[in-house]
Amino acid sequence: MNREPVVLPNVKTKITTTKKKKKFSMKFLTPWLFLLPAIVILATFLVYPILEAFKWSFLDYKIIAGTGEYVGLDNFKEMFADKYFWVALVNTLTFLVIVLPLNVFLPMILAVLVNQRIRGAGTFRVLYYLPVITPMVVAALMWKMLYSQSGIISEFLVKLGVFDGPTNLLVQSSTALTAVAAITVWKGLGYYMIIYLAGLQSIPKDVYESASIDGASVWKQFTKITIPMLTPSITLVSVMTIIAGMKVFEEIALTTGGGPSGATTTLVMYIYNKFMSLDVSIASAAGIVLLVLAIAASLLQMKLTSKREDDLRV
Amino acid sequence: MKSKQNSKIWLYVVMLLITVLTVGPFLITLFMAMKSGSEGIYTSLLPKDPTLSNFVTAFEKANFGLYFMNTAIITAIAIPLNLLFCSLAAYPLARMDFRGRSVVLALIISTMMVPFQLYMAPLFQLAGELGLRNTHIGLVVMQVSTAFGIFLMRQAYLRIPKELEESAYLDGANRFKVWYLVVLPLVKPTLVTLAIFTFMGTWGDYLWPLLNSTESSMYTLSIGLAQLSQNFDGSNLKLISAASILTTIPTLLIFIWLQKYFISGATDGAVKG
Repeated sequence: MNREPVVLPNVKTKITTTKKKKKFSMKFLTPWLFLLPAIVILATFLVYPILEAFKWSFLDYKIIAGTGEYVGLDNFKEMFADKYFWVALVNTLTFLVIVLPLNVFLPMILAVLVNQRIRGAGTFRVLYYLPVITPMVVAALMWKMLYSQSGIISEFLVKLGVFDGPTNLLVQSSTALTAVAAITVWKGLGYYMIIYLAGLQSIPKDVYESASIDGASVWKQFTKITIPMLTPSITLVSVMTIIAGMKVFEEIALTTGGGPSGATTTLVMYIYNKFMSLDVSIASAAGIVLLVLAIAASLLQMKLTSKREDDLRV
Repeated sequence: MKSKQNSKIWLYVVMLLITVLTVGPFLITLFMAMKSGSEGIYTSLLPKDPTLSNFVTAFEKANFGLYFMNTAIITAIAIPLNLLFCSLAAYPLARMDFRGRSVVLALIISTMMVPFQLYMAPLFQLAGELGLRNTHIGLVVMQVSTAFGIFLMRQAYLRIPKELEESAYLDGANRFKVWYLVVLPLVKPTLVTLAIFTFMGTWGDYLWPLLNSTESSMYTLSIGLAQLSQNFDGSNLKLISAASILTTIPTLLIFIWLQKYFISGATDGAVKG
């Protein structure tokens, strides 16, 4: 682009002094006119429901009557005494523990592969991105089909000798959570690949050149240059995985529905089930726990990124 | 030289294997959707007697024509409104000095952290009180103005050099004119990115339409699919597969059309964390 930067000092003050009075009221109003539509909508459909949720968590709220009495911390006490709440919390954390390493390493490998200067790399990039653009409901149902007892995954595992007979991984309580996590990982591969790709392309080429002149193997270059230089991307992918992972819904609701016997009931499924049984106050209390976890993850991100900036400064 | 050739072959083998993993499920679903009525569902991968009748059945008997319309309508409402309201709201937050700016900005950014599941019940009740249950507008109240969209647009405005706007003010243009004629054309790529995010968020949205569409006449594709999958066996699987493909085709076309924006948008969206 060809544009000459025009330097105009004190433009604002010049205008305001000439038409001071008229400008004053407009100056006050203009920003709010710009903000008005979005603020009205966000206040109504976002901020108000959030505040209501906080209120409901301290009430014995009946959604059909639309009223509720103040009960203090009773909802939280009831929830913390509920065995299934703790099961849900453990399932959420287990889910993250399964997804996190896969999300950190698999897309990194994909990014390194499509970053090679070979014919067709761009096509592979597109093909790896396809799961990302698939509607989540479709992804969940496709995988439910693949997992079915007579489906391809079961057949494959029997051939490998993992199982003696046809087995649906989604209906075994020992494998269901991992099977669901695989859907989440599959769906995110291409997205995190792009984030790593941006990180890879910011690594200066001459670092590799001098490393190969010094005789460093490809593997050594990967572990000693690529991974350390990708640390910012690894942090980003990790935090995004945690934040997105704790909100996972469709791939559970549409495949296992939280079963078998609660094995895939995460915190989000717990909230959904409480809402469906009209225990909206407990649902709100559990929602606040989810919010606390989300805030903790965001704070972690801020801390990690600011630490990174400190490192760069030194 | 030969080892280099060999390693290249291995590279392609690995990349093709990964392709099987990422694209395979689509192909299996497509083949399933093309199997004819009498054919067993898991007996073979490829359809023996390929047919499009499952797509026709999905459209005509399973109401997917209607669900397709509903989804298209809400997406057509969400995209222009979200682009307009977010690009308007983000401008003063990037460029004007006024009391309350930092409070508004902090509030908007902090709402991005709040999980939908926290406030879905109060929102459900509110939608009922406002008469938005089973309406198209009601299905997109979460998408017509988004905190993320405001954040994204503000980042784009901050990247433009201020001098361009200031010379326009000297020519006597007002704030709104400058925004519309000078600033907006400069952030077109971000507008496309936001349009894509809005499209993806609306087209595939599941949980909110599930709560707010209690009548089948207001189902979206996602809800229709989920309902259809309640009966997850035998011949119904062919129908589910056909409907899944139908649901994915528009996103696929838009992806092919706006590919580079999807890729650059992925990293833009990552900033929000």
